[in-house]
Amino acid sequence: MSPNSAGRAEKIGYTNVKVYHEGLPVWSKKNFVVLSAQSLKEAYMDKDIPTVLVDVRPFAVAQKGFIKGAVTLPASDIAANIAKFPPKDKKPPIIVVDDKGGSEAANSAKSLIAAGYTGVAILTGGIDAWQAAKYPVETGNLATTIAYVPKPRPGEIAIEDFKKIASSTSANTLIIDVRSREDASLGMVKGAKVIPDMEILDRMAEIPKDRQIIAYCNTGIQAEMTYHKLKEKGYNIKFLNAKVTFDNQGNYTIEKL
Amino acid sequence: MLLKRLMNIGSSTVMVFGLVMTFGQAVAQEKAAAPAAPQAKPTIAKLCTNCHQAEPGNLRGNFDGVAYQSESIQIKIDDTAEILKFDPKTLQVKNMQLDPNNPSEPLRAIKKGKEVRVEYTEKNGKKFATLVSEKVAIKVRPEMLMSTADVEKLVAQGQEKGKYLLIDARPAPRFMEGAIPTAINIPFVAFDKMVDKLPKDKSMLIIYYCGGVT
Repeated sequence: MSPNSAGRAEKIGYTNVKVYHEGLPVWSKKNFVVLSAQSLKEAYMDKDIPTVLVDVRPFAVAQKGFIKGAVTLPASDIAANIAKFPPKDKKPPIIVVDDKGGSEAANSAKSLIAAGYTGVAILTGGIDAWQAAKYPVETGNLATTIAYVPKPRPGEIAIEDFKKIASSTSANTLIIDVRSREDASLGMVKGAKVIPDMEILDRMAEIPKDRQIIAYCNTGIQAEMTYHKLKEKGYNIKFLNAKVTFDNQGNYTIEKL
Repeated sequence: MLLKRLMNIGSSTVMVFGLVMTFGQAVAQEKAAAPAAPQAKPTIAKLCTNCHQAEPGNLRGNFDGVAYQSESIQIKIDDTAEILKFDPKTLQVKNMQLDPNNPSEPLRAIKKGKEVRVEYTEKNGKKFATLVSEKVAIKVRPEMLMSTADVEKLVAQGQEKGKYLLIDARPAPRFMEGAIPTAINIPFVAFDKMVDKLPKDKSMLIIYYCGGVT
């Protein structure tokens, strides 16, 4: 998507357009990301997506007002307490909260990234921004142990179920490959129908309403977008939330992200 | 294998013929009913207008099928279909991966639904294809690429000092889950709608990123 955007920007006259092609997956292996108070609420809490929310302020300060579900672990203790965090391979979304989104949060995030965690985020503006947005806080004792139970995202199909459906064609299911045609032409799931996510709403006539639709791409990102678009139109749809790698022999491997 | 191939050819031929007939019927009906100006068919699919404009003598849409027997191709432009005759001896092809087993019928290598541009001439109201070009994937020129280290350096300086605009082109729900510090979100699909978020100074450094090579 970024090369397309860059191309459009050049077309309308921008002369110094660059593309960071490796993008977020590479960035977040070495650096933290950020999210706003509104994003924390809407992208995680409202959707009930489990996170590891770490409040790195001193315990006595945090007690006076913290975000629901936060675990206390002061910044100076993070590096020594990595073992308290869920295993790396579960890829828990970790969100670090300090007072203003400053160096305490940044240093805590860096310790976690150094320990091998990816997708470590800092709450921009810290608890101050959260309270300025008038979101609720709790007072009293914070949890001291991290309880993280990964949960499938809405519409996510179990990898085993996807494999089962992909291996035997059925009149009741339809798998759609929502990547670009270029990607799909280099290898795809046998029997799938290629409809790039960008075209999905224009090509609904080709998607039967009476079948179980399953969308996949190679990261789960586009497939999830397709899921929301078709769900809203009344389709019975699920999506594969995983990394899928293809070879040109029609073989593929699925890896949980 | 060969049988399968023949069957494929058979079915696509039938399909194209079927539409030739309906197209012919539609023309006949139109002639009979109203001698008024025929309705102009679109020459460019909506999707293609993201980057291209309608051009005389060019069709842009999705490749639907080819019948070498009747020397015709069918192009889908949104909801309408265009049938064009061609001469296999003079037809030019561009940006195509030729099938080494069948180099004399290059159009067979085009996948159904692939975006194509067709150049044509018009004779007696009928379109005759002279060139078929497949859409090529957008390639980023090497000088446009930025490394992680480049972006880290700029982000450490901050937007003011680094004099840049970092743009996350992913869909909003993903941006919200976490983005590179100082980035703003302009999803690719919302490019036009959010064009006012781009800097007024067109020489300013703009960096796009997304979820890697998706």
